[in-house]
Amino acid sequence: MSLASPLNLLWLAAIVPVVVFYILKIRLRRVPVSTILFWRQIYDEHQPRSIWQRMRHWLSLLAQVTLILLLVLALADPFFAWETRQLRRIVVIVDNSASMNATDVSPSRLAAAKDEALRVIRGMRFRDELAVVTAGGSPRVVCGFSSHGRTLSHAVDDVVSTDNPTRVTEAVELARRLLGERQDEHQREIVVLTDKAWGQAPQNSNLADQSLDRVTKSLPPNLNFAVPDPGLLVRHFGTNAGNVGITQFQTRRSLIDPLGYEILAEVTNASDEPVECRLEIDLNADVVDVVPLKLTPGQRWSQSFEKTSADGGHLTAKLDRADTLATDNRAWAVLPKREMIPVTLVSEGNLFLQKVFESNPLVALTRIDPPGRKPEAESRKPLSQNLSSPNAGITVLHHHVPEVLPSGVFLVIDPRESCDAWQLGEPIQNPIVHQQDKDSPLLGHVRLDNVVMPEARQVKFVSDDGVKVLARSLAGDPLLTTIERPGQKVLLLTVNLDEGDLPLRTAFPILMMNALNWCTENRGELRESLPTGAITEIDVAALSRDRSLTLRVGIAGQAPDSESQATEGRSLSLIAPDGRRSALPMPSERLSLGPFDQCGVWRVVANEGDTTLMELACNLADRNESDVRVPKSEVIAPTSALSASLLGNRPVSMWLIAFAWLLFAVEWWAYQRRVIE
Amino acid sequence: MPLFDTEFLKKLEYLSLVSRRMFRGSLLAQRRTMQTGGGIEFADHREYSHGDDFRHLDWNVFARHGQLLLKRFQEEEDLQVYLLLDCSRSMAFGSPPKFDLARQIVAALAYIALADLDRVAVIAFADDIIADFPMTRGKDRILSLLKFLEGLEVQGEATDLGRVVKAFTQRPQRRGLAVIVSDLFDPQGYERGFDLLRYRNYELNAVQLHDRLEAEPSLLGELELVDIESDGVQKVTITENALKKYRTLFEDFQESLRKYGRKYGVGLTQTRCEVPFDELILKMMRASGAVG
Repeated sequence: MSLASPLNLLWLAAIVPVVVFYILKIRLRRVPVSTILFWRQIYDEHQPRSIWQRMRHWLSLLAQVTLILLLVLALADPFFAWETRQLRRIVVIVDNSASMNATDVSPSRLAAAKDEALRVIRGMRFRDELAVVTAGGSPRVVCGFSSHGRTLSHAVDDVVSTDNPTRVTEAVELARRLLGERQDEHQREIVVLTDKAWGQAPQNSNLADQSLDRVTKSLPPNLNFAVPDPGLLVRHFGTNAGNVGITQFQTRRSLIDPLGYEILAEVTNASDEPVECRLEIDLNADVVDVVPLKLTPGQRWSQSFEKTSADGGHLTAKLDRADTLATDNRAWAVLPKREMIPVTLVSEGNLFLQKVFESNPLVALTRIDPPGRKPEAESRKPLSQNLSSPNAGITVLHHHVPEVLPSGVFLVIDPRESCDAWQLGEPIQNPIVHQQDKDSPLLGHVRLDNVVMPEARQVKFVSDDGVKVLARSLAGDPLLTTIERPGQKVLLLTVNLDEGDLPLRTAFPILMMNALNWCTENRGELRESLPTGAITEIDVAALSRDRSLTLRVGIAGQAPDSESQATEGRSLSLIAPDGRRSALPMPSERLSLGPFDQCGVWRVVANEGDTTLMELACNLADRNESDVRVPKSEVIAPTSALSASLLGNRPVSMWLIAFAWLLFAVEWWAYQRRVIE
Repeated sequence: MPLFDTEFLKKLEYLSLVSRRMFRGSLLAQRRTMQTGGGIEFADHREYSHGDDFRHLDWNVFARHGQLLLKRFQEEEDLQVYLLLDCSRSMAFGSPPKFDLARQIVAALAYIALADLDRVAVIAFADDIIADFPMTRGKDRILSLLKFLEGLEVQGEATDLGRVVKAFTQRPQRRGLAVIVSDLFDPQGYERGFDLLRYRNYELNAVQLHDRLEAEPSLLGELELVDIESDGVQKVTITENALKKYRTLFEDFQESLRKYGRKYGVGLTQTRCEVPFDELILKMMRASGAVG
């Protein structure tokens, strides 16, 4: 036996005064009585005769000295050599992923796993250290190495269920790093409490679990745990219960149809039985579609739907089948609402140009006749004033251009006048598009090299700042140019629409559609439904501009107006589907959100006024998690590998104190009851 | 606070009034002694012996049975009341001290007796007789008696009742009523003194006082007990068991007193010292049938 704190043996000096005082005895208290007749009768008749009576004072002294010895020895903290040899460091990995919410084990797999973790904690020996790690989503150390059972138990109790995917492999790696590189490997133990079979690699995750494979391969065929690599014990929870779940659910706005949107749904039958069920898709609680499904065992059904609606909102997919895992029976997606785009057409009248905007159901078209040209300065002034009004939206200028282009978004077609941005040159006859920027979204699905353009206008830009030529003629003259300056976006098409077949070609409406998308920056078209456990980034500046869309069409690079300034100045919060609210850091350019640990629609809100700025759908969307089957060979009885020690998992000092306390109690009782007489 | 204040005197007067019925007499004294002699009230018979007065022979008995029996008559004389007050140091024990109550009892009894025209003497004792208030008569002497009582102090060594009674009975005095007011904690035993008084034909009454802590002490642990009478020391370890034995012994002592009283017709009153003296006197009167 060794002592952890041998210096505390100095307290043995306390025995000396005890013995001295005992031998000297404390002076007896004198009590006057009227007569000692009766006392003499008592004590003279009962003189101590037995050895016990004669030795009682020495026994009392012995008891006191023993009491001090026990307490001092407890302070010295003795321990046996085998305690240090059998010291264990244990990492308990509790899988709190979505599949652990399955109810095939009552009340749930996670509850059973937590019970098992508590059992492991109760089985700790003194000086054992244990850490608790969760494996739902990113592995997290919920309690570092500790010997304090109550702390560890509270940590296990605080493990909550999530809809995150399983990350047991990463958790095991984390546990190994926690355990460190110790030589005495037999004292390191990792206890994995999960429902995933080791041989069952995640089907849609990127986890490369070589170490896990190594562990799995080393398993004897008839033994499912207690593998030698660093004392890895695996306890599985669950049955072979089947489950049918929605493993993918996405929506996006159609790139062609301004009102259309597409839905992608995938349902997987992760059971050994054929299943009949029904998939119902709702948009804001209105049924959009209902699909009866007949799924063979293991079948994965996938289909895309094309629907039409200008309204945005929550798309919800529901399976009408109650199974062991309810999390994947519902899925959500956020459909962006189509906003009306105010377009002001300043033209003397071009039917093609007018119709191409009128045919777009999202365009609110206003046509303005151009003012007279004389006197030039006076006639052009009202146009400038009109265009600078905040409700102008996108302004399409056909032929007529104000002398100074105000702030705003302009689509200038076939200009006949110079302005502060360019100087108009000579007409170009039969220009042929020689260079076309294929990467520009403005020219997506648009080919101009085969379009006959009898006439165009030569322009010379006053400044090259913000000027980007998207299409040039063979002579190098710009035909399609974008000019982006602070507070101003201009798309300049110098081709004469009145002549040539550009308005007759499909490229024209596509080009105009692209132009509208470019002007409105094409935001809100696709909001991907995120899988649980994912982390995403949002553009805070764009969020602010989106909010200002209700007043004006957003302009990239535009100086923030008062509302967007207010939005950026607000503190933001992320609200989970269950109402949990977490404050977000003060927004900068971009903000990371997540990981999202719950299925449903998450909201980014401004704390001031609780205005919803953004919605994000989050679904399980994990085939591995939806497959809650545990192979029969993996379903094992509770492990009893972590057994208690002979000392009842308590230190020797505790037993010494307990014995001292018992001795003290007996001595006190004997003194009070005077049994020593 | 004086021991005998105005309130005390009022109580004495009250007690003397309620006790008047008790002491009826035909001669000077209103209380008949138990002495047989030349009175007119028949007491009992005894065998005739040579030299007895023929006038007292009961001729009716002789005529019926042929036996010569002499009639005895209760002698009627004024009562001599001897109040023996224990002034040993053990009487200073108690809360209030037993000595205070004892003096109040003596004063009360003396007052009642003097009010009944009896003769009263007070003998203060400890290990021996230490002071005397000589035989006196008349209610007007009560103040002197109270002054005497007030001047008494506890003193002496261990109570020696036998020695005290012996000295008392050797005095040339008439027999009468002897009332001992004491705690009776006599190392030699109270019986010697009691017996001697009985043998000398004193009508014996005893008032035994004790304190609550004497009956049920609350002592525990290692103690050095000091006898305040004898200054004797006893080092003891008092346990619950010892306390139990003490209570048993004390109760046995009290019971032996009662047995003695019943056996020899000794009037005995046992009381704790926290009892007011007037209540105690009334209780004694009720016990003797003096008051209803």
